Amino acid sequence: MYLTRFRVNTGRPGARRLLSSPQSLHAAAMSSFPGLLPTTTDGPRVLWRLDHNARAEVFLYIVSPERPDLTHLVEQAGWPAAALDPDTPGWQTRPYAPFLERLTKGGTWAFRLTANPVHHIRRKDGEPTKRTAHRTPVHQKAWLLDRQERSGFRVVEKSDENRLLPGGTTHQGHIHHGDRHELTVREPRSLAFFKSDEAGPQRHRVTVVTATFDGRLEVTDAEALRRTLTQGLGKAKAYGCGLMTLAPLPTTE
Amino acid sequence: MSVLTLRLAGPLQAWGASARFIRRTTEAAPTKSGVIGMLAAAQGLQRGDDAGLAPLSALRFGVRIDQPGTRIRDFQTAHHAVTGKSMPLSERFYLADAVFVAALEGDHTLLTALHTALRAPVYPPYLGRRSCPPSLPVELGVHPDISLDQALRNEPWQASAWHQKRHRDQPTVTLVILREATSAERDGDEDVLRDQPLSFAAEHRRHTLRTVLSTIVNVPNPLARATRLPASGHTVPHHDPLGGLEEETA
Repeated sequence: MYLTRFRVNTGRPGARRLLSSPQSLHAAAMSSFPGLLPTTTDGPRVLWRLDHNARAEVFLYIVSPERPDLTHLVEQAGWPAAALDPDTPGWQTRPYAPFLERLTKGGTWAFRLTANPVHHIRRKDGEPTKRTAHRTPVHQKAWLLDRQERSGFRVVEKSDENRLLPGGTTHQGHIHHGDRHELTVREPRSLAFFKSDEAGPQRHRVTVVTATFDGRLEVTDAEALRRTLTQGLGKAKAYGCGLMTLAPLPTTE
Repeated sequence: MSVLTLRLAGPLQAWGASARFIRRTTEAAPTKSGVIGMLAAAQGLQRGDDAGLAPLSALRFGVRIDQPGTRIRDFQTAHHAVTGKSMPLSERFYLADAVFVAALEGDHTLLTALHTALRAPVYPPYLGRRSCPPSLPVELGVHPDISLDQALRNEPWQASAWHQKRHRDQPTVTLVILREATSAERDGDEDVLRDQPLSFAAEHRRHTLRTVLSTIVNVPNPLARATRLPASGHTVPHHDPLGGLEEETA
């Protein structure tokens, strides 16, 4: 497995085209694997995510089973002249497997995840269920906390002195996720675009609601967490959702 | 020497030093004749009492611009209230929303008497023109054993709350002080203004030249924000997933 980071040159028209369309960016990410033919539908999973840290600091992260070649992205939306120097390549790729092997139960990490939190509802009896987005931060946090057990991690709970409410519960006794866990949710985005049907000329409107989670986790099941990190969490993995990354905790509080 | 400080704040002020006939202008700061006239009125001095005015106009005068205000123009087309005949068309200029600190340096007993007179004035005070009443009591206090310059530097910022809040990015603000030069400071290059009152007699008002020295002072802003909030772009937490990964060994 490989983890790759590419910095997007947001001033370029090519970057704007890619950033404005999750479909184009998915196509660009998928076409960076010289060893992977596009005809294989059930190939190994490629995950990607965009981190908008600042207006001109946008990173594309890709987790893939094969080493990617992002030359075409550098040409369209990077710094091609700077990339000529072998010391400053247009992207950075690191082997991911040694890091994944080092994950052990009980280890704590900072994490970031952009996901598509959804549930399935039936509005009236007899109707088929419909996939519906979680829109509020409380529901989005509950969505992630619901999945932490089987995904192999546990979101670290805040210590009592860091909480605003006693026990992290509201005055009515309900659990308040925002005050209970080391977890924030931000950047709610609603991606809406048209997708053409392969069978005919019809176009479908696709809407994907995404949320970015930041927090701290403790590994409970290293094997399950490895699966989460390499195969993704939640829906809409083709549109930049589901990739979770870990980073070392800051040494000083 | 003692110093009497005054706060001159009101919706409108008008301080003319060279106004003649139908064009009634205003300076950017209070004039000495305007402020001395206000004190003389508070004491109940009559118009022609030049002997009573002399000790007041001998006081050394200074002013600090706490809130400059805006200059506005009034094109006046008044008619006589009784006869209905039109008065001469005139242009009158005012300072709107301005705040000044004025200070007078001199004998302690005289200044204490003036301070008492301002608390119970014979004729009510106004800011340069009868139509401009002050919005707050004008007297701030008598400070014994202090120089004019020191008194103007020590006074806290008197600007309105909205003006102080507008400058909340600045922990200290720079204000202009306009004061009479001492004899040691005079070198012939100072600005002069014809607002040293000799007589307020109704039939013939007389003024002579006065030197004006301009300096600046930094005073703290009580409504300054303690720390600037970080820009919104910096709220994204730091996250570097490549930090935990080793470089590939070739």
